[in-house]
Amino acid sequence: MGAFDRNLAAALYAARPAPEWIRALRETARLAWSAAPWPTRKTEAWKYTALDALDATAWLRCAEAGELGFDAAALVPGLDADRLVFVDGCYRAELSCVEAQPGVRVVNFRAANSGDRATIDGALGQLAAGTDNPFVALNGCWLDDGVLLHVGAGVRARRPVHVVHVGAAPDGPSAHAQRLLAVLGRGAELDLIEQFVDLPGAGESLVAGLSELRVGEGARLGHYRLHGEQERAVHVGAVYVELARDARCESLLFALGGALKRIDFRLRHRGPGASCRLDGIYLARHRQHVDLHTTVEHEVAHATTEQVCRGIVDDAARAVFNGRIHIHPQAQKSSAELSNRNLLLSDEAEVDTKPELEIYADDVRCSHGATVSRIDEKSLYYLLTRGIGRREAEVLLGYGFVNELVSRVGDEALAAMLREVVRDWLGQPGLPAGGDAA
Amino acid sequence: MLSIANLQARIDDKPILRGIDLDVKPGEVHAIMGPNGSGKSTLGYVLSGREGYEVTAGSVRFDGQDLLAMATEERARAGLFLAFQYPVEIPGVSNMEFLKASVDAVRAHRGVEPLDAVRFLRLAREKCEAVGMKTDFLKRGVNEGFSGGEKKRNEILQMMLLEPRLAILDETDSGLDIDALQVVAAGVNGLRAADRSFVIVTHYQRLLDYIVPDFVHVLAHGRIVKSGGRELALELEDKGYAWIGKEAG
Amino acid sequence: MSEHIESLLKQDYAAGFVTAVESETLPPGLDENVVRLISAKKGEPEWLTEWRLEAYRGWRQMAEPTWAHVHFPPVDFAAVSYYSAPKSMADGPKSLDEVDPELLRTYEKLGIPLHERAKLAGVAVDAVFDSVSVVTTFKEKLHEAGVVFCPISEAVHTHPELVRKYLGSVVPRRDNFYAALNSAVFSDGSFVYIPPGVRCPMELSTYFRINEAKTGQFERTLIIADEGSHVSYLEGCTAPMRDENQLHAAVVELVALKGARIKYSTVQNWYPGDRDGKGGIYNFVTKRGLCHDHASISWTQVETGSAITWKYPSVVLRGDHSVGEFYSVALTNNLQQADTGTKMIHLGRNTRSTIISKGISAGRSSNAYRGLVRISPRAEGARNYTQCDSLLIGDRCGAHTFPYIESRNASATVEHEATTSKVSEDQLFLCRQRGLDAEKAVSMIVNGFCREVFKELPMEFAVEAGKLLEVSLEGSVG
Repeated sequence: MGAFDRNLAAALYAARPAPEWIRALRETARLAWSAAPWPTRKTEAWKYTALDALDATAWLRCAEAGELGFDAAALVPGLDADRLVFVDGCYRAELSCVEAQPGVRVVNFRAANSGDRATIDGALGQLAAGTDNPFVALNGCWLDDGVLLHVGAGVRARRPVHVVHVGAAPDGPSAHAQRLLAVLGRGAELDLIEQFVDLPGAGESLVAGLSELRVGEGARLGHYRLHGEQERAVHVGAVYVELARDARCESLLFALGGALKRIDFRLRHRGPGASCRLDGIYLARHRQHVDLHTTVEHEVAHATTEQVCRGIVDDAARAVFNGRIHIHPQAQKSSAELSNRNLLLSDEAEVDTKPELEIYADDVRCSHGATVSRIDEKSLYYLLTRGIGRREAEVLLGYGFVNELVSRVGDEALAAMLREVVRDWLGQPGLPAGGDAA
Repeated sequence: MLSIANLQARIDDKPILRGIDLDVKPGEVHAIMGPNGSGKSTLGYVLSGREGYEVTAGSVRFDGQDLLAMATEERARAGLFLAFQYPVEIPGVSNMEFLKASVDAVRAHRGVEPLDAVRFLRLAREKCEAVGMKTDFLKRGVNEGFSGGEKKRNEILQMMLLEPRLAILDETDSGLDIDALQVVAAGVNGLRAADRSFVIVTHYQRLLDYIVPDFVHVLAHGRIVKSGGRELALELEDKGYAWIGKEAG
Repeated sequence: MSEHIESLLKQDYAAGFVTAVESETLPPGLDENVVRLISAKKGEPEWLTEWRLEAYRGWRQMAEPTWAHVHFPPVDFAAVSYYSAPKSMADGPKSLDEVDPELLRTYEKLGIPLHERAKLAGVAVDAVFDSVSVVTTFKEKLHEAGVVFCPISEAVHTHPELVRKYLGSVVPRRDNFYAALNSAVFSDGSFVYIPPGVRCPMELSTYFRINEAKTGQFERTLIIADEGSHVSYLEGCTAPMRDENQLHAAVVELVALKGARIKYSTVQNWYPGDRDGKGGIYNFVTKRGLCHDHASISWTQVETGSAITWKYPSVVLRGDHSVGEFYSVALTNNLQQADTGTKMIHLGRNTRSTIISKGISAGRSSNAYRGLVRISPRAEGARNYTQCDSLLIGDRCGAHTFPYIESRNASATVEHEATTSKVSEDQLFLCRQRGLDAEKAVSMIVNGFCREVFKELPMEFAVEAGKLLEVSLEGSVG
């Protein structure tokens, strides 16, 4: 036990062998990290999320690559994808499988060729630049490898890219970074699945995540970030997206709770005609904490945002949602809608939600709504009158609540897998009041 | 089959049912008519066990059991079906999932094997056609975006699948065009059997042209104020409800 | 937007005149001696002097809040004078006949005649001029009903037990920076006590007027509605046009005992500054009510004035089955900034709250709704409904919505909705095609937008509020 030591944390990966350019990035990040203000309860962005989970454990071990037999393809049955697998932060070529396609690069940082390096040099860190989120700097301090996706102009990736992060080390606690850069050229198309899982028996882990997604003019990105780690896992991650003119992003963030799960998702509309659909699902129980912060910047006119986030919170868990929509002065004809609904299933659970509108242009259509309630009584009654038992009816209604969003996932194999996860989650009985998650 | 004695109930301290007596024998069709606010819908809710409706006096026996002591879903499994006036929408849960969960629960209670997915699908499609709905309607969310008529057809579809002992139809005819009305009537008439009974709650006698009742009761101010045969409904249509109040004093 | 509307916008702030009365004003600056002096001027008992000093010491350790969506140069608290009163009032409020006629004319000019012959029908008025209460009308009639309505400085002497029991009971001395400051230096304000079971026979009203330059106004209002009583209270405010900013840091505390109902309405029209943002009142106000079982508190506010508004009239729903309501219209024009909303703290079972907020931004102003709905674990069956609508007039203003929802009870239901729209060319065209001029059209559309809130106001106020909106919007369409 003891407070999170920021200096020790920064030094964790300093001596780890890596290509020169990665080491240089680590050093830059170390400076940023030491200058970054540390969040407290008075920091608005961390009002409802304490960093106690960081203090509770000594995160002073780098992740190490161990031997592992693991079938990543079984994670999403039926999903035909290029697959990159990282085990405890380390890239595992023997578990990965990428089919070459002209105009598409799917490669880990350490295997980058000179062309890849040019892409990386031109974009890595740029989308996240200027953030006040200290964990972006921490990610840089721990940078060891990562994923580069590049889809050339006019190219449609034949298969989705499935990046799998597996936690395996049984003797935690260990800490590492997750990093991804995707660059889609003009008119390119790509579906990206980032999935986080832990093997049974995996120890405690702290992951600082960072994905930067740059979507070029008229390009389309499907982005699915799925967090299904074990309960003691701590993940503090950020996703940055930039959309050029007429670009589109369809995104689903799916998170099961953990000791601490915090995702900052920031999307910038940088060209007129850009549009996005940002869906979020979070399911938290026991004493889990899940926190989803989203920001959408309408920096130009004629962009569209459609955002629906739903959560189910049980036992003594806590869910935090903050959804900010910012319409800049020149962003006339913006359209933005945000809905956040929460099912609160236990009196010991807590939901804190804060949808925000910040609007500096008048010719816009913006709205948001938020609800926190238990399962709708009328719907429950309807199911009961059809002979369905109370417990089953509650599961069915909880499932329907989330399934509305899962149904928007285009890939059937992925949707089927998510439905399975939701059903499993709902089917598990909660712990008795006051029960401990660990 | 159903025996209601001096049933009194209230919502939020406001008495709605003030002493209902009604006997429904196997195979009978009873129509309950009455003006708005007379307690017609409340009767269905109380019999099916809706929360917030407090029974203050009286008893209800259903096939020899104390109905009021049973949970809502137990009543349903025992064969009590309520077709809603305003069926609720449940987005995200497909009609198919919902119907299967419901039929499985009722069959399990009867000690019958659950239908496998293929046989259930066949059965559901068949009933779907019987109520004049396209089968893709099974894939949609429960009542989600359905028109008024589609919702009512969905209620009848559920009734046909669940094969209840007693079906209570709460103003199922309201807002229906003539085609949908005939579908409802055909659904009920097709299920009529010596061991199955119906309570048809309606404001207008129109539906009774298609489903001919054995008895007609008039509900006013939470009591049955008049009972008779088929002809009573016609008389009501002719004269309205005002005279009932006066006659019943 | 069309120039027609632009041309409409040149009305002056009608309440911007200065009354020439001789005042006794303390030199600027604040220390313990000033606090003692204010207390001494009012002949306060020892406990209250100590109470103020304690607040002052707390204030000195506190920092100004910075979280609101407003920007202004730091206030120099040493340059403010913390007490000012017309010399003629040096001996405390007198009967109407003895009040300086110049003061009476001031209120008449503001449309608040204090003579009972010309009284506002059915409304009793307490008029507060800078730091003191000038006069309270209808005292006798209220006395018959057992209602106490008087300056708080008087209540300290006439009803010491009530003041001592309830002062600071809803807004503690160290609640926030401005409340602490107010607790240290509050000058005057209204005190209301409604006995058990009494329905107050008339509307009660306080009219606040800042006159003296370089002074702050720190009024303190305390309303206690005893069990089963009802009261409706109105508050209005104006100030002269001056180039420098003036500070107004009030505290209002409402106590609704079991089954009591308090309706508190405000029309806030402090001087908003000129079109370039020069001058205007800094309105940093703490208003909060406490509901016991089955009690209800309803805040209605129409906020059109002040350079900066920082104000969150709140309700602590401590009692079971208690009800809190907040109806707000906040209009900002030119360079005005408002960060206003409410807090509904649900502690009791089956507590209910409703929040209806209408924000109108024009010119280069900034208008933010900030609200908190908190459902505590024992607030079984609690419900909240919130609707926040923003209307933008012109493309250089800002409209923001920051609702905080914290729910810790599964049986509670919280619903929040917010929308943003503008006065559309289509709406304007329709109105003008039907023969309305652009100004009338905008004011009609804005009034329609605010209807849900206006209907909560007492009749005379509703009419007034509509007109005020029209005036405040002048020059906004361009």
